[in-house]
Amino acid sequence: MAVRSPLEQRRAQHQRYKEDVQRTGKPFYPWAMFHDTVMSLVVVSVIVALACIWYFTSGESPGEPGLLGPRFTSEADPGTTSFIPRPDWYFYFLFYLLRIFKWPESVILGTVGIPTILLLLMLALPFLDVRRERRLLRRPVAVVAAILVVLSMGILTYKGATTEESLGGDEALIEEWMEANNLPEEARAGAVLYAETGCQQCHLYLGAGSANLGAPELTAIGAEGGKGVDYFARYIGNPRQFGNTVMPIYGESLSEENLRQMGIFLDASKGPGGGG
Amino acid sequence: MPRAKSARRQQIERAVLYPLDWLEERSGLIGGVKYFIFRKVPQDIGWPQTLGSATLTAFIVQAVTGAILAMYYKPHPETAYESIRYITNDLTLGWLVRGMHRWGASVFIILMFFHMARVFLYGAYKYPRELNWIIGVLLLALGMFEGFTGYLLPWDQTSYWASVVGININGTAPFLGPFLAQFLQGGAEIGADTISRFYALHMLLLPGALFALIGLHLYLVIRLGVTSPPWSPEAAGRDRAEVAPTTNGRAGLVRPGSRGGLTRTGVRK
Ligand code: HEM
Repeated sequence: MAVRSPLEQRRAQHQRYKEDVQRTGKPFYPWAMFHDTVMSLVVVSVIVALACIWYFTSGESPGEPGLLGPRFTSEADPGTTSFIPRPDWYFYFLFYLLRIFKWPESVILGTVGIPTILLLLMLALPFLDVRRERRLLRRPVAVVAAILVVLSMGILTYKGATTEESLGGDEALIEEWMEANNLPEEARAGAVLYAETGCQQCHLYLGAGSANLGAPELTAIGAEGGKGVDYFARYIGNPRQFGNTVMPIYGESLSEENLRQMGIFLDASKGPGGGG
Repeated sequence: MPRAKSARRQQIERAVLYPLDWLEERSGLIGGVKYFIFRKVPQDIGWPQTLGSATLTAFIVQAVTGAILAMYYKPHPETAYESIRYITNDLTLGWLVRGMHRWGASVFIILMFFHMARVFLYGAYKYPRELNWIIGVLLLALGMFEGFTGYLLPWDQTSYWASVVGININGTAPFLGPFLAQFLQGGAEIGADTISRFYALHMLLLPGALFALIGLHLYLVIRLGVTSPPWSPEAAGRDRAEVAPTTNGRAGLVRPGSRGGLTRTGVRK
C-alpha cells in the first residue's frame, strides 16, 4: 500500500465518510428531526419552568428572594456603596480568579491573561491536535487537558458562588474594628466613611468585604512603613497618580476633610496586635 | 386506483403545488429545503447530537422574548428600573417573558458548553471541521458578552455593581484595556450613555453577529455532515483495515474510489 501523507489520509477519510453516509446513513427526516424536536421541547419546558419557579416563589418588592433569587434588587444607586457586586454565574470563575491574583503585579494575569490564553487555546485546538484519531482512549492528552479544564472551571465557579461576602456599614462592625484593630478614637470618622463609601466592594478589612480586582487587604495597611496619613489621603483622592487605573477617583466625590479622615483611619490600621 | 386520480384531486394537487413550483422555479429554495430535510446523516447519531439544535432553540427563545421585552423596556437610568418593575409585576404575562429571557440566557450558555463538550469528546473539531469549531468558539465568546451586556439593563443594584466591576476588569487589560473600558462606559460615569451602549450592543450588534455566525455554522454542518461517534463500529468514514479485519484478504483495496468489497460484511451483518 502506498504511504500517503497525513493530509491525503484525512481527505481520504472524509471521502469515505461521505460515501458511508450515502450508503448506510438514515435520512434526517424523520429520525434525527424527531430527536431534535423532542430535545427542543424539553429545552423550552425547562426555561418556562425556571421562569415559573423564579416568579411564583419570589415577592413583588425588591430583594424579596424566592428559590431562584429575587425578581430584582433595589434600584441602582451609584451613591450607595455597601453593595457587593455579583456577576451572572458563568462569570463566577473569572470573579474568583480575581481574588487569587494580587494587585498590581499579577492581577492582569487573572483578569485578562488567563481568559485570553484560554480563548486562544480554544481557537487553536484544531491546529494543535491534527491527528485523525478520535477515540477518547487514544487521545490521552486531550482527555487529561479537558478534565483539568472542567475541574478547575468547576472549582472556581463553585468558590465564586459560595464565598462569603460579609458586608455592612453598621455600627456593630465599626465597633468591632475599633476594638480588634486597636483604633484610636480619631480614626472613627474615617472608619465610618470607609464602610459607607464602598471600599469593601474590592478590599478586605478584618475579614469583611470582598477581594475584587486583586485589591489588597487593608487590615494592616498602616503597618507598612513610610506612608502616613497624607499619603493615604492623596492616594484615595487620585489613585491614578499612583499608577492604579482601577480604583475610583474618590477626590471627585469626597471632601479634603473626608479624605484626611480616611487617611487617619488607614494609617492607624496596623492589624490586630499591631500596637496602635 | 393509483393511476386514475380523479380530476378533482388533480386540481387540488396542482393548486397546492403551483405556489411551491413558482417559488422553486424562481429561487431554488424548495429544493434546498428538501435537501436539508431528506439529506442523509450517519445512522449511529442520536441524542448527543441534538445539543446543537437545542442551543439554537434556546437562542430563538431569547430572540423572541427579547423582542417583546424591547417593546416595554425603556433604556434610560430614570426609566429602566421602573419599566422592568412594570414588566415583571404588572404587565400581563410580562413576568413570563422576562423570566424566560432571564433564565433562557443561562440555559443558552449551559447548552453551548454541553454542545462544545460533545464536539470535543467526539473529536468533531478535526479535519475538515476546524473552521466550524472556530466559529463555535466565537459564538461562545459573543454569547457570554451578550450575557454581560444584558445584565446591566434592569438597572438594579446587582446589575449596576456587577457592571462597574466588569468594566473595571476590562480597564486592567494592557494597552487596549482603558479604551475598551471607556468605550463600554460611554461617559465619565456609568449612566445614561452606558445603558444606551449596552442596549445597542445587547439587542442589535451582538445578536446580529450571533445570527450571522449561527447561519454560517449551520451551513458548514450541512455541507460537511455530522460526525459519527468515534467508538461506533459503524462509524461513517472509519478505517476499514483496523475496525474490520479482512475476511477475504482484500485490505489493500481499501482506498477512496474503490469502495465495496470490505463494507459492512465484516462488521455486523
Ligand atoms: C449559538 C451557539 C451554537 C449553535 C446554535 C450551534 C448549532 C450546531 C448544530 C445544530 C450542529 C449540528 C450537530 C449537533 O447538533 O451537534 C452543530 C455542530 C457543530 N458545532 Fe455548534 N452550535 C453552537 C455553538 C458551538 C460552539 C460553542 C462550538 C465549539 C466551540 C461549536 C462547534 C461545533 C462543531 C465543530 C460542529 C460539528 C460537529 C460534528 O460534525 O459532529 N458549536 N452546531
